[in-house]
Amino acid sequence: MRLDGPDPPDDEESAISSATTAATGPVRVEVSGLTKSFGAVRAVSDLGFTVEPGQVTGFLGPNGAGKTTTLRMVLGLINPDAGTATFNGTPYTALPAPTRTVGAVLETAFHPARSARNHLRVYCRAAGLPLSRADEVLVQVGLSDAAGRRAGGYSLGMRQRLALATALLGDPAVLVLDEPANGLDPEGIQWLRGFLRHLAHDQGRTVLVSSHLLSEVEQTVDRVVIVGAGRLVREGSMADLRAGAAQGGTVLVRSPEADRLAELLRAEGAEVALDGGGSLTVTGRSPADIGHRAFTAGVELHELRAHTSGLEEIYFQLTAGQEQFAAPAAGATSQGGTR
Amino acid sequence: MIRLVRAELTKLFTTKVWLGLLLGAVVMVAAFAVFFTAFAGDPESGIPEVGTAAYDDLALSTAANANILFLILGIIGMTQEYRHRTATPTFLTTPKRGQVVIAKLIAYALAGAAFALVVVVVNYVVVAIHAGALGSAPALNADNVETMASSWLALIIYSVIGVGLGALLRNQVGAIVGGLVYLFVVEPIIRSVPATAGAYKWMPGGALEALTATFEGPELLQAWQGGLLLLGYGLVAALLGTLLAVRRDVV
Repeated sequence: MRLDGPDPPDDEESAISSATTAATGPVRVEVSGLTKSFGAVRAVSDLGFTVEPGQVTGFLGPNGAGKTTTLRMVLGLINPDAGTATFNGTPYTALPAPTRTVGAVLETAFHPARSARNHLRVYCRAAGLPLSRADEVLVQVGLSDAAGRRAGGYSLGMRQRLALATALLGDPAVLVLDEPANGLDPEGIQWLRGFLRHLAHDQGRTVLVSSHLLSEVEQTVDRVVIVGAGRLVREGSMADLRAGAAQGGTVLVRSPEADRLAELLRAEGAEVALDGGGSLTVTGRSPADIGHRAFTAGVELHELRAHTSGLEEIYFQLTAGQEQFAAPAAGATSQGGTR
Repeated sequence: MIRLVRAELTKLFTTKVWLGLLLGAVVMVAAFAVFFTAFAGDPESGIPEVGTAAYDDLALSTAANANILFLILGIIGMTQEYRHRTATPTFLTTPKRGQVVIAKLIAYALAGAAFALVVVVVNYVVVAIHAGALGSAPALNADNVETMASSWLALIIYSVIGVGLGALLRNQVGAIVGGLVYLFVVEPIIRSVPATAGAYKWMPGGALEALTATFEGPELLQAWQGGLLLLGYGLVAALLGTLLAVRRDVV
Protein backbone atom coordinates (compact mmCIF):
# COMPACT_ATOMS: atom_id res chain seq x y z
CA MET A 1 0.00 0.00 0.00
CA ARG A 2 1.29 3.40 -0.94
CA LEU A 3 0.59 6.05 1.61
CA ASP A 4 2.06 9.13 0.04
CA GLY A 5 0.46 10.77 -2.97
CA PRO A 6 2.18 8.82 -5.70
CA ASP A 7 3.76 10.91 -8.41
CA PRO A 8 3.73 9.42 -11.84
CA PRO A 9 7.25 9.36 -13.23
CA ASP A 10 8.18 12.67 -14.85
CA ASP A 11 8.74 11.41 -18.38
CA GLU A 12 5.39 9.65 -18.29
CA GLU A 13 3.71 12.77 -16.96
CA SER A 14 4.98 14.87 -19.82
CA ALA A 15 4.20 12.20 -22.39
CA ILE A 16 0.54 12.02 -21.45
CA SER A 17 -0.03 15.47 -20.03
CA SER A 18 1.34 17.38 -22.94
CA ALA A 19 -1.35 15.77 -25.04
CA THR A 20 -4.09 16.02 -22.46
CA THR A 21 -3.98 18.07 -19.29
CA ALA A 22 -1.78 20.67 -20.91
CA ALA A 23 -3.99 20.77 -23.94
CA THR A 24 -7.21 21.02 -22.00
CA GLY A 25 -5.62 23.09 -19.23
CA PRO A 26 -7.54 23.69 -16.03
CA VAL A 27 -11.17 22.70 -16.44
CA ARG A 28 -14.04 24.34 -14.61
CA VAL A 29 -17.27 22.41 -14.12
CA GLU A 30 -20.48 24.39 -14.25
CA VAL A 31 -23.83 22.94 -13.31
CA SER A 32 -26.94 24.98 -13.92
CA GLY A 33 -30.62 24.34 -13.39
CA LEU A 34 -30.30 20.54 -13.33
CA THR A 35 -33.65 18.89 -12.78
CA LYS A 36 -34.64 15.23 -12.89
CA SER A 37 -37.68 13.25 -11.86
CA PHE A 38 -38.05 9.49 -11.71
CA GLY A 39 -41.78 8.96 -12.10
CA ALA A 40 -43.47 11.07 -9.45
CA VAL A 41 -40.30 11.45 -7.40
CA ARG A 42 -38.35 14.65 -7.94
CA ALA A 43 -34.75 13.53 -7.43
CA VAL A 44 -32.98 16.78 -8.36
CA SER A 45 -34.52 20.27 -8.50
CA ASP A 46 -33.01 23.24 -10.29
CA LEU A 47 -29.55 22.45 -8.96
CA GLY A 48 -26.66 24.73 -9.82
CA PHE A 49 -23.06 24.99 -8.60
CA THR A 50 -19.52 25.28 -9.89
CA VAL A 51 -16.42 23.19 -9.31
CA GLU A 52 -13.11 25.01 -9.57
CA PRO A 53 -9.73 23.66 -10.71
CA GLY A 54 -6.94 23.31 -8.17
CA GLN A 55 -9.37 22.54 -5.38
CA VAL A 56 -11.05 19.53 -3.86
CA THR A 57 -14.79 20.16 -3.74
CA GLY A 58 -16.96 18.06 -1.45
CA PHE A 59 -20.43 17.19 -2.76
CA LEU A 60 -22.36 16.49 0.41
CA GLY A 61 -25.84 15.45 1.37
CA PRO A 62 -27.72 12.65 3.09
CA ASN A 63 -28.46 9.41 1.30
CA GLY A 64 -31.19 9.99 -1.25
CA ALA A 65 -30.43 13.69 -1.60
CA GLY A 66 -29.75 13.26 -5.33
CA LYS A 67 -25.95 13.21 -5.33
CA THR A 68 -25.48 10.15 -7.50
CA THR A 69 -28.25 11.23 -9.88
CA THR A 70 -26.57 14.62 -10.21
CA LEU A 71 -23.14 13.14 -10.90
CA ARG A 72 -24.59 10.78 -13.50
CA MET A 73 -26.31 13.70 -15.22
CA VAL A 74 -23.04 15.66 -15.17
CA LEU A 75 -21.41 12.67 -16.91
CA GLY A 76 -24.10 12.15 -19.53
CA LEU A 77 -25.29 8.81 -18.17
CA ILE A 78 -28.68 10.16 -17.11
CA ASN A 79 -30.56 12.60 -19.32
CA PRO A 80 -31.72 15.57 -17.25
CA ASP A 81 -35.29 16.83 -17.61
CA ALA A 82 -33.84 20.34 -17.63
CA GLY A 83 -30.56 22.12 -17.05
CA THR A 84 -26.97 21.72 -18.19
CA ALA A 85 -23.61 20.56 -16.91
CA THR A 86 -20.51 21.63 -18.80
CA PHE A 87 -16.73 21.25 -18.71
CA ASN A 88 -15.23 24.57 -19.77
CA GLY A 89 -18.49 25.13 -21.59
CA THR A 90 -18.81 21.72 -23.29
CA PRO A 91 -21.28 19.04 -22.17
CA TYR A 92 -19.72 15.66 -21.38
CA THR A 93 -21.30 13.89 -24.35
CA ALA A 94 -19.80 16.49 -26.73
CA LEU A 95 -16.24 16.29 -25.36
CA PRO A 96 -13.82 15.26 -28.12
CA ALA A 97 -11.82 13.02 -25.76
CA PRO A 98 -13.98 12.46 -22.68
CA THR A 99 -11.64 10.13 -20.79
CA ARG A 100 -8.76 12.57 -21.18
CA THR A 101 -10.85 15.40 -19.79
CA VAL A 102 -12.85 13.69 -17.06
CA GLY A 103 -12.26 10.57 -15.01
CA ALA A 104 -15.12 9.21 -12.93
CA VAL A 105 -15.38 6.72 -10.09
CA LEU A 106 -19.10 6.00 -9.89
CA GLU A 107 -19.42 2.40 -8.86
CA THR A 108 -17.24 -0.65 -8.79
CA ALA A 109 -18.43 -2.22 -12.05
CA PHE A 110 -16.27 -4.97 -13.50
CA HIS A 111 -16.84 -8.21 -15.31
CA PRO A 112 -16.02 -10.63 -12.48
CA ALA A 113 -14.12 -13.04 -14.73
CA ARG A 114 -11.85 -10.40 -16.27
CA SER A 115 -8.51 -9.53 -14.70
CA ALA A 116 -7.84 -6.00 -13.54
CA ARG A 117 -5.19 -5.48 -16.23
CA ASN A 118 -7.50 -6.73 -18.99
CA HIS A 119 -10.36 -4.61 -17.64
CA LEU A 120 -8.16 -1.53 -17.96
CA ARG A 121 -6.88 -2.56 -21.40
CA VAL A 122 -10.44 -2.68 -22.72
CA TYR A 123 -10.84 1.01 -21.90
CA CYS A 124 -7.35 1.86 -23.16
CA ARG A 125 -8.38 0.42 -26.52
CA ALA A 126 -11.76 2.16 -26.54
CA ALA A 127 -10.21 5.53 -25.64
CA GLY A 128 -7.25 5.14 -27.99
CA LEU A 129 -4.70 5.16 -25.17
CA PRO A 130 -1.53 3.05 -25.20
CA LEU A 131 -2.05 -0.32 -23.45
CA SER A 132 0.88 0.52 -21.17
CA ARG A 133 -1.39 2.99 -19.35
CA ALA A 134 -3.12 0.00 -17.72
CA ASP A 135 -0.01 -1.00 -15.79
CA GLU A 136 0.88 2.61 -15.01
CA VAL A 137 -2.42 3.37 -13.29
CA LEU A 138 -2.25 0.05 -11.44
CA VAL A 139 1.04 1.24 -9.97
CA GLN A 140 -0.54 4.59 -9.12
CA VAL A 141 -3.30 3.02 -7.04
CA GLY A 142 -1.08 0.30 -5.58
CA LEU A 143 -2.71 -2.69 -7.30
CA SER A 144 0.24 -3.94 -9.38
CA ASP A 145 0.57 -7.16 -7.44
CA ALA A 146 -3.05 -8.11 -8.10
CA ALA A 147 -3.12 -6.99 -11.76
CA GLY A 148 -3.53 -10.50 -13.17
CA ARG A 149 -6.22 -11.62 -10.75
CA ARG A 150 -9.92 -11.80 -11.59
CA ALA A 151 -11.68 -8.64 -10.46
CA GLY A 152 -14.48 -10.83 -9.10
CA GLY A 153 -12.15 -12.01 -6.34
CA TYR A 154 -11.22 -8.51 -5.24
CA SER A 155 -12.08 -7.06 -1.84
CA LEU A 156 -14.27 -3.98 -1.67
CA GLY A 157 -11.25 -1.78 -1.09
CA MET A 158 -9.42 -3.26 -4.08
CA ARG A 159 -12.48 -2.69 -6.24
CA GLN A 160 -12.49 0.97 -5.24
CA ARG A 161 -8.84 1.21 -6.20
CA LEU A 162 -9.51 -0.46 -9.55
CA ALA A 163 -12.40 1.93 -10.20
CA LEU A 164 -10.04 4.81 -9.40
CA ALA A 165 -7.42 3.32 -11.72
CA THR A 166 -10.04 3.20 -14.52
CA ALA A 167 -10.79 6.88 -13.95
CA LEU A 168 -7.10 7.78 -14.10
CA LEU A 169 -6.41 6.03 -17.44
CA GLY A 170 -6.78 9.16 -19.55
CA ASP A 171 -4.81 11.35 -17.11
CA PRO A 172 -7.91 13.57 -16.85
CA ALA A 173 -8.04 17.23 -15.83
CA VAL A 174 -11.22 16.58 -13.82
CA LEU A 175 -11.83 13.75 -11.39
CA VAL A 176 -15.36 12.95 -10.19
CA LEU A 177 -15.72 10.44 -7.36
CA ASP A 178 -18.99 9.13 -5.91
CA GLU A 179 -18.57 7.95 -2.32
CA PRO A 180 -15.03 6.69 -2.99
CA ALA A 181 -14.32 5.93 0.66
CA ASN A 182 -16.93 3.15 0.79
CA GLY A 183 -15.16 -0.10 1.50
CA LEU A 184 -11.73 1.43 2.06
CA ASP A 185 -9.99 0.62 5.31
CA PRO A 186 -8.74 3.55 7.44
CA GLU A 187 -5.30 3.29 5.84
CA GLY A 188 -6.90 3.38 2.40
CA ILE A 189 -9.00 6.42 3.29
CA GLN A 190 -5.88 8.20 4.53
CA TRP A 191 -4.13 7.34 1.28
CA LEU A 192 -7.09 8.54 -0.79
CA ARG A 193 -7.19 11.89 1.03
CA GLY A 194 -3.54 12.52 0.31
CA PHE A 195 -3.95 11.39 -3.27
CA LEU A 196 -6.90 13.69 -4.01
CA ARG A 197 -5.20 16.69 -2.40
CA HIS A 198 -2.09 15.94 -4.42
CA LEU A 199 -4.09 15.84 -7.66
CA ALA A 200 -5.84 19.13 -6.92
CA HIS A 201 -3.28 21.21 -5.05
CA ASP A 202 -0.02 20.06 -6.67
CA GLN A 203 -1.27 19.25 -10.17
CA GLY A 204 -4.06 21.80 -10.51
CA ARG A 205 -6.75 19.29 -11.38
CA THR A 206 -10.42 19.70 -10.59
CA VAL A 207 -11.64 17.19 -7.99
CA LEU A 208 -15.28 16.66 -7.05
CA VAL A 209 -15.89 14.05 -4.37
CA SER A 210 -19.27 13.09 -2.95
CA SER A 211 -20.02 11.77 0.50
CA HIS A 212 -22.94 11.53 2.87
CA LEU A 213 -20.60 12.12 5.81
CA LEU A 214 -19.05 15.52 6.33
CA SER A 215 -16.56 14.04 8.80
CA GLU A 216 -15.27 11.73 6.07
CA VAL A 217 -14.17 14.54 3.75
CA GLU A 218 -13.84 17.50 6.12
CA GLN A 219 -10.04 17.21 6.22
CA THR A 220 -9.77 16.82 2.46
CA VAL A 221 -12.02 19.37 0.83
CA ASP A 222 -11.48 23.07 0.21
CA ARG A 223 -15.03 23.82 -0.86
CA VAL A 224 -18.39 22.25 -0.18
CA VAL A 225 -21.58 21.92 -2.17
CA ILE A 226 -24.30 20.66 0.16
CA VAL A 227 -27.57 19.28 -1.22
CA GLY A 228 -30.73 18.14 0.48
CA ALA A 229 -33.81 16.72 -1.21
CA GLY A 230 -32.28 17.43 -4.60
CA ARG A 231 -31.76 21.14 -3.96
CA LEU A 232 -28.72 23.23 -3.24
CA VAL A 233 -28.54 23.96 0.46
CA ARG A 234 -25.15 25.60 0.69
CA GLU A 235 -22.18 26.29 -1.53
CA GLY A 236 -19.00 27.86 -0.22
CA SER A 237 -15.53 27.39 1.16
CA MET A 238 -14.79 24.98 3.96
CA ALA A 239 -13.29 27.91 5.89
CA ASP A 240 -16.64 29.75 5.80
CA LEU A 241 -18.46 26.66 6.93
CA ARG A 242 -15.98 26.26 9.81
CA ALA A 243 -16.34 29.89 10.83
CA GLY A 244 -20.09 29.48 11.01
CA ALA A 245 -19.70 26.23 12.85
CA ALA A 246 -17.55 27.63 15.67
CA GLN A 247 -20.75 29.17 17.06
CA GLY A 248 -22.69 25.94 17.00
CA GLY A 249 -20.46 23.44 18.85
CA THR A 250 -21.36 22.06 22.25
CA VAL A 251 -19.02 21.17 25.10
CA LEU A 252 -19.75 18.76 27.95
CA VAL A 253 -18.44 19.82 31.38
CA ARG A 254 -18.56 17.99 34.71
CA SER A 255 -17.67 19.81 37.87
CA PRO A 256 -18.50 19.59 41.60
CA GLU A 257 -19.28 23.31 41.32
CA ALA A 258 -21.48 23.03 38.25
CA ASP A 259 -23.93 25.70 39.36
CA ARG A 260 -21.21 28.31 40.00
CA LEU A 261 -19.52 27.58 36.65
CA ALA A 262 -22.87 27.85 34.86
CA GLU A 263 -23.44 31.26 36.40
CA LEU A 264 -19.95 32.42 35.44
CA LEU A 265 -20.38 31.34 31.83
CA ARG A 266 -23.89 32.71 31.52
CA ALA A 267 -22.63 36.05 32.82
CA GLU A 268 -20.39 36.08 29.72
CA GLY A 269 -23.24 35.34 27.38
CA ALA A 270 -22.70 31.61 26.84
CA GLU A 271 -25.68 29.33 26.48
CA VAL A 272 -25.53 26.79 29.32
CA ALA A 273 -27.81 23.88 30.11
CA LEU A 274 -27.56 22.22 33.52
CA ASP A 275 -27.97 18.51 33.07
CA GLY A 276 -28.00 17.61 36.79
CA GLY A 277 -25.50 15.39 38.56
CA GLY A 278 -22.83 18.05 38.28
CA SER A 279 -22.71 18.17 34.48
CA LEU A 280 -23.56 20.92 32.03
CA THR A 281 -23.68 21.44 28.29
CA VAL A 282 -22.22 24.68 26.95
CA THR A 283 -22.98 25.93 23.46
CA GLY A 284 -20.85 28.43 21.55
CA ARG A 285 -17.65 28.18 23.58
CA SER A 286 -14.58 26.12 22.87
CA PRO A 287 -13.29 23.67 25.51
CA ALA A 288 -10.19 25.88 25.80
CA ASP A 289 -12.30 28.96 26.62
CA ILE A 290 -14.27 27.10 29.27
CA GLY A 291 -11.19 25.49 30.80
CA HIS A 292 -9.47 28.84 31.03
CA ARG A 293 -12.49 30.50 32.65
CA ALA A 294 -12.81 27.69 35.19
CA PHE A 295 -9.10 27.85 36.00
CA THR A 296 -9.07 31.60 36.61
CA ALA A 297 -12.18 31.29 38.81
CA GLY A 298 -10.70 28.38 40.69
CA VAL A 299 -13.50 25.97 39.70
CA GLU A 300 -12.50 22.30 39.81
CA LEU A 301 -13.25 20.35 36.61
CA HIS A 302 -13.72 16.58 36.35
CA GLU A 303 -14.44 16.39 32.67
CA LEU A 304 -14.24 18.75 29.74
CA ARG A 305 -14.80 17.58 26.19
CA ALA A 306 -16.21 18.76 22.90
CA HIS A 307 -19.49 16.97 22.35
CA THR A 308 -20.24 17.99 18.78
CA SER A 309 -17.76 19.71 16.56
CA GLY A 310 -20.24 22.31 15.45
CA LEU A 311 -19.43 21.49 11.86
CA GLU A 312 -21.45 18.32 12.02
CA GLU A 313 -24.17 20.16 13.86
CA ILE A 314 -24.40 22.68 11.04
CA TYR A 315 -24.34 19.94 8.43
CA PHE A 316 -27.08 18.12 10.26
CA GLN A 317 -29.20 21.27 10.54
CA LEU A 318 -28.68 22.07 6.87
CA THR A 319 -29.76 18.65 5.74
CA ALA A 320 -32.12 17.61 8.54
CA GLY A 321 -35.38 16.03 7.54
CA GLN A 322 -34.29 15.61 3.93
CA GLU A 323 -33.07 12.06 3.99
CA GLN A 324 -35.26 10.02 1.72
CA PHE A 325 -36.77 11.20 -1.55
CA ALA A 326 -38.57 14.14 -0.03
CA ALA A 327 -41.57 15.25 -2.07
CA PRO A 328 -41.11 18.39 -4.19
CA ALA A 329 -43.16 20.47 -1.74
CA ALA A 330 -40.98 19.45 1.21
CA GLY A 331 -37.88 20.70 -0.59
CA ALA A 332 -39.29 24.22 -0.85
CA THR A 333 -39.27 24.67 2.93
CA SER A 334 -35.71 23.53 3.34
CA GLN A 335 -33.85 26.27 1.49
CA GLY A 336 -30.90 27.16 3.63
CA GLY A 337 -28.50 29.98 2.93
CA THR A 338 -27.51 29.58 -0.69
CA ARG A 339 -24.29 30.89 -2.07
CA MET B 1 -14.43 2.98 -34.83
CA ILE B 2 -11.56 0.52 -35.30
CA ARG B 3 -10.41 1.12 -31.73
CA LEU B 4 -13.95 0.53 -30.43
CA VAL B 5 -14.18 -2.73 -32.38
CA ARG B 6 -10.82 -3.79 -30.93
CA ALA B 7 -12.08 -2.88 -27.45
CA GLU B 8 -15.11 -5.14 -27.99
CA LEU B 9 -12.90 -7.99 -29.21
CA THR B 10 -10.68 -7.49 -26.15
CA LYS B 11 -13.78 -7.75 -23.96
CA LEU B 12 -14.83 -10.94 -25.74
CA PHE B 13 -11.49 -12.70 -25.53
CA THR B 14 -10.65 -11.74 -21.93
CA THR B 15 -13.40 -13.93 -20.52
CA LYS B 16 -14.10 -17.57 -21.35
CA VAL B 17 -17.68 -17.23 -22.58
CA TRP B 18 -16.59 -17.51 -26.22
CA LEU B 19 -14.73 -20.74 -25.56
CA GLY B 20 -17.74 -22.38 -23.93
CA LEU B 21 -20.08 -21.35 -26.71
CA LEU B 22 -17.68 -22.39 -29.46
CA LEU B 23 -17.07 -25.81 -27.87
CA GLY B 24 -20.83 -26.21 -27.40
CA ALA B 25 -21.45 -25.36 -31.05
CA VAL B 26 -18.75 -27.78 -32.24
CA VAL B 27 -20.07 -30.65 -30.11
CA MET B 28 -23.65 -29.95 -31.17
CA VAL B 29 -22.84 -29.85 -34.87
CA ALA B 30 -20.64 -32.95 -34.71
CA ALA B 31 -23.42 -34.83 -32.91
CA PHE B 32 -26.01 -33.77 -35.51
CA ALA B 33 -23.70 -34.81 -38.35
CA VAL B 34 -23.07 -38.22 -36.80
CA PHE B 35 -26.78 -38.68 -36.11
CA PHE B 36 -27.83 -37.80 -39.66
CA THR B 37 -25.15 -40.01 -41.15
CA ALA B 38 -25.97 -42.96 -38.92
CA PHE B 39 -29.59 -42.89 -40.00
CA ALA B 40 -28.92 -42.04 -43.63
CA GLY B 41 -30.73 -44.30 -46.02
CA ASP B 42 -33.01 -45.64 -43.28
CA PRO B 43 -36.45 -45.45 -44.93
CA GLU B 44 -38.16 -44.69 -41.60
CA SER B 45 -35.93 -41.69 -40.88
CA GLY B 46 -36.53 -40.12 -44.26
CA ILE B 47 -32.84 -39.18 -44.46
CA PRO B 48 -31.38 -39.73 -47.94
CA GLU B 49 -28.71 -42.31 -48.57
CA VAL B 50 -25.01 -41.57 -48.19
CA GLY B 51 -23.48 -40.70 -51.54
CA THR B 52 -26.50 -38.81 -52.89
CA ALA B 53 -26.52 -35.05 -53.45
CA ALA B 54 -29.53 -34.79 -51.13
CA TYR B 55 -27.56 -36.41 -48.31
CA ASP B 56 -24.58 -34.08 -48.90
CA ASP B 57 -26.87 -31.06 -48.68
CA LEU B 58 -28.47 -32.21 -45.47
CA ALA B 59 -25.33 -33.42 -43.70
CA LEU B 60 -23.27 -30.37 -44.62
CA SER B 61 -25.91 -27.88 -43.49
CA THR B 62 -26.11 -29.17 -39.91
CA ALA B 63 -23.76 -26.35 -38.95
CA ALA B 64 -26.71 -23.98 -39.22
CA ASN B 65 -28.27 -25.75 -36.23
CA ALA B 66 -25.74 -23.98 -34.02
CA ASN B 67 -27.55 -20.73 -34.77
CA ILE B 68 -29.00 -20.58 -31.27
CA LEU B 69 -25.51 -20.59 -29.72
CA PHE B 70 -24.40 -17.77 -32.02
CA LEU B 71 -27.52 -15.87 -31.08
CA ILE B 72 -26.60 -16.31 -27.41
CA LEU B 73 -23.03 -15.19 -28.14
CA GLY B 74 -24.35 -11.89 -29.51
CA ILE B 75 -26.90 -11.48 -26.73
CA ILE B 76 -24.27 -11.98 -24.04
CA GLY B 77 -21.92 -9.60 -25.83
CA MET B 78 -24.44 -6.79 -25.55
CA THR B 79 -26.28 -7.56 -22.32
CA GLN B 80 -23.19 -8.26 -20.19
CA GLU B 81 -22.68 -4.49 -20.12
CA TYR B 82 -25.91 -4.19 -18.15
CA ARG B 83 -25.60 -7.41 -16.21
CA HIS B 84 -22.18 -6.54 -14.80
CA ARG B 85 -22.87 -2.79 -14.86
CA THR B 86 -19.89 -2.15 -17.12
CA ALA B 87 -22.27 -0.02 -19.19
CA THR B 88 -21.14 2.81 -16.92
CA PRO B 89 -17.42 2.79 -17.82
CA THR B 90 -18.25 1.83 -21.41
CA PHE B 91 -20.57 4.80 -21.96
CA LEU B 92 -18.25 7.11 -20.01
CA THR B 93 -15.48 6.19 -22.46
CA THR B 94 -17.80 6.43 -25.48
CA PRO B 95 -20.67 8.81 -24.64
CA LYS B 96 -22.09 8.46 -28.14
CA ARG B 97 -23.74 5.16 -27.38
CA GLY B 98 -24.78 4.32 -30.93
CA GLN B 99 -21.08 3.91 -31.73
CA VAL B 100 -20.79 1.24 -29.03
CA VAL B 101 -23.66 -0.72 -30.59
CA ILE B 102 -22.14 -0.40 -34.08
CA ALA B 103 -18.75 -1.53 -32.77
CA LYS B 104 -20.38 -4.55 -31.16
CA LEU B 105 -22.22 -5.44 -34.38
CA ILE B 106 -18.94 -5.36 -36.30
CA ALA B 107 -16.93 -7.14 -33.59
CA TYR B 108 -19.46 -9.95 -33.24
CA ALA B 109 -19.76 -10.32 -37.02
CA LEU B 110 -15.95 -10.72 -37.15
CA ALA B 111 -15.76 -13.10 -34.19
CA GLY B 112 -18.87 -14.90 -35.47
CA ALA B 113 -17.18 -15.35 -38.87
CA ALA B 114 -14.13 -16.98 -37.27
CA PHE B 115 -16.18 -19.21 -34.95
CA ALA B 116 -18.60 -20.15 -37.72
CA LEU B 117 -15.68 -21.17 -39.91
CA VAL B 118 -14.54 -23.56 -37.17
CA VAL B 119 -18.04 -24.98 -36.86
CA VAL B 120 -18.45 -25.45 -40.64
CA VAL B 121 -15.03 -27.11 -40.94
CA VAL B 122 -15.81 -29.47 -38.05
CA ASN B 123 -19.12 -30.24 -39.71
CA TYR B 124 -17.38 -31.16 -42.97
CA VAL B 125 -14.62 -33.19 -41.33
CA VAL B 126 -17.05 -35.23 -39.22
CA VAL B 127 -19.30 -35.89 -42.21
CA ALA B 128 -16.33 -36.73 -44.45
CA ILE B 129 -14.94 -39.23 -41.95
CA HIS B 130 -18.26 -40.84 -41.04
CA ALA B 131 -19.74 -40.93 -44.54
CA GLY B 132 -16.32 -41.89 -45.93
CA ALA B 133 -16.32 -44.90 -43.62
CA LEU B 134 -19.74 -45.80 -45.00
CA GLY B 135 -18.43 -45.64 -48.55
CA SER B 136 -18.74 -42.12 -49.97
CA ALA B 137 -17.42 -38.87 -48.47
CA PRO B 138 -19.06 -35.71 -49.89
CA ALA B 139 -16.86 -34.02 -52.46
CA LEU B 140 -15.83 -30.38 -52.10
CA ASN B 141 -17.74 -29.44 -55.23
CA ALA B 142 -19.48 -26.15 -55.91
CA ASP B 143 -22.82 -27.32 -54.57
CA ASN B 144 -21.43 -28.53 -51.29
CA VAL B 145 -19.25 -25.49 -50.79
CA GLU B 146 -22.28 -23.31 -51.38
CA THR B 147 -24.24 -25.27 -48.77
CA MET B 148 -21.48 -24.76 -46.23
CA ALA B 149 -21.07 -21.10 -47.12
CA SER B 150 -24.79 -20.56 -46.51
CA SER B 151 -24.50 -22.10 -43.05
CA TRP B 152 -21.44 -19.99 -42.37
CA LEU B 153 -23.29 -16.81 -43.34
CA ALA B 154 -26.34 -17.78 -41.32
CA LEU B 155 -24.28 -18.24 -38.17
CA ILE B 156 -22.59 -14.86 -38.64
CA ILE B 157 -25.95 -13.16 -39.12
CA TYR B 158 -27.33 -14.82 -36.00
CA SER B 159 -24.54 -13.39 -33.85
CA VAL B 160 -25.42 -9.97 -35.30
CA ILE B 161 -29.10 -10.58 -34.48
CA GLY B 162 -28.03 -11.49 -30.92
CA VAL B 163 -26.34 -8.12 -30.48
CA GLY B 164 -29.45 -6.37 -31.81
CA LEU B 165 -31.80 -8.35 -29.59
CA GLY B 166 -29.57 -7.69 -26.57
CA ALA B 167 -29.57 -3.97 -27.31
CA LEU B 168 -33.35 -4.00 -27.50
CA LEU B 169 -34.01 -6.04 -24.35
CA ARG B 170 -30.93 -5.22 -22.19
CA ASN B 171 -31.84 -8.06 -19.80
CA GLN B 172 -29.56 -11.04 -20.45
CA VAL B 173 -31.75 -13.83 -19.14
CA GLY B 174 -34.85 -12.28 -20.68
CA ALA B 175 -33.19 -11.95 -24.08
CA ILE B 176 -31.87 -15.53 -24.10
CA VAL B 177 -35.13 -17.06 -22.87
CA GLY B 178 -37.10 -14.87 -25.26
CA GLY B 179 -34.86 -15.94 -28.15
CA LEU B 180 -35.22 -19.64 -27.32
CA VAL B 181 -38.97 -19.45 -26.88
CA TYR B 182 -39.31 -17.60 -30.16
CA LEU B 183 -37.12 -19.99 -32.13
CA PHE B 184 -38.42 -23.23 -30.65
CA VAL B 185 -42.05 -22.46 -29.78
CA VAL B 186 -43.46 -19.44 -31.58
CA GLU B 187 -42.02 -19.97 -35.04
CA PRO B 188 -42.75 -23.71 -35.27
CA ILE B 189 -46.38 -22.91 -34.44
CA ILE B 190 -46.56 -20.17 -37.07
CA ARG B 191 -44.90 -22.50 -39.54
CA SER B 192 -47.34 -25.34 -38.98
CA VAL B 193 -50.66 -23.49 -38.69
CA PRO B 194 -52.04 -23.14 -42.22
CA ALA B 195 -53.55 -19.70 -41.58
CA THR B 196 -50.18 -18.21 -40.65
CA ALA B 197 -47.86 -20.41 -42.70
CA GLY B 198 -47.88 -17.87 -45.52
CA ALA B 199 -46.26 -15.29 -43.26
CA TYR B 200 -43.55 -17.70 -42.17
CA LYS B 201 -41.28 -17.01 -45.12
CA TRP B 202 -40.98 -13.40 -43.94
CA MET B 203 -39.98 -14.35 -40.39
CA PRO B 204 -36.40 -14.92 -39.17
CA GLY B 205 -36.87 -18.71 -39.13
CA GLY B 206 -38.28 -18.70 -42.65
CA ALA B 207 -35.43 -16.50 -43.81
CA LEU B 208 -32.92 -18.86 -42.21
CA GLU B 209 -34.57 -21.81 -43.91
CA ALA B 210 -34.51 -20.01 -47.22
CA LEU B 211 -30.79 -19.39 -46.75
CA THR B 212 -29.80 -22.87 -45.62
CA ALA B 213 -32.63 -25.37 -45.83
CA THR B 214 -32.60 -28.48 -47.88
CA PHE B 215 -35.76 -30.10 -46.61
CA GLU B 216 -38.96 -29.53 -48.45
CA GLY B 217 -41.04 -27.10 -46.47
CA PRO B 218 -43.42 -24.24 -46.84
CA GLU B 219 -42.96 -21.68 -49.57
CA LEU B 220 -39.69 -19.80 -49.01
CA LEU B 221 -37.77 -16.85 -50.38
CA GLN B 222 -34.66 -17.22 -52.52
CA ALA B 223 -31.52 -17.96 -50.52
CA TRP B 224 -30.02 -14.52 -51.03
CA GLN B 225 -33.31 -12.86 -50.14
CA GLY B 226 -33.51 -14.93 -46.98
CA GLY B 227 -29.97 -13.92 -46.01
CA LEU B 228 -30.68 -10.24 -46.55
CA LEU B 229 -33.96 -10.43 -44.64
CA LEU B 230 -32.21 -12.17 -41.74
CA LEU B 231 -29.48 -9.54 -41.64
CA GLY B 232 -32.19 -6.87 -41.82
CA TYR B 233 -33.84 -8.27 -38.70
CA GLY B 234 -30.56 -8.04 -36.81
CA LEU B 235 -29.85 -4.48 -37.92
CA VAL B 236 -33.40 -3.29 -37.28
CA ALA B 237 -33.27 -4.77 -33.77
CA ALA B 238 -29.95 -3.00 -33.18
CA LEU B 239 -31.31 0.30 -34.49
CA LEU B 240 -34.49 0.08 -32.41
CA GLY B 241 -32.42 -1.03 -29.43
CA THR B 242 -30.14 1.98 -29.80
CA LEU B 243 -33.04 4.40 -30.15
CA LEU B 244 -35.34 2.92 -27.51
CA ALA B 245 -33.21 1.10 -24.94
CA VAL B 246 -29.51 1.92 -25.06
CA ARG B 247 -30.11 5.67 -24.88
CA ARG B 248 -32.05 5.32 -21.66
CA ASP B 249 -30.63 6.44 -18.31
CA VAL B 250 -27.87 4.30 -16.87
CA VAL B 251 -28.66 4.62 -13.17
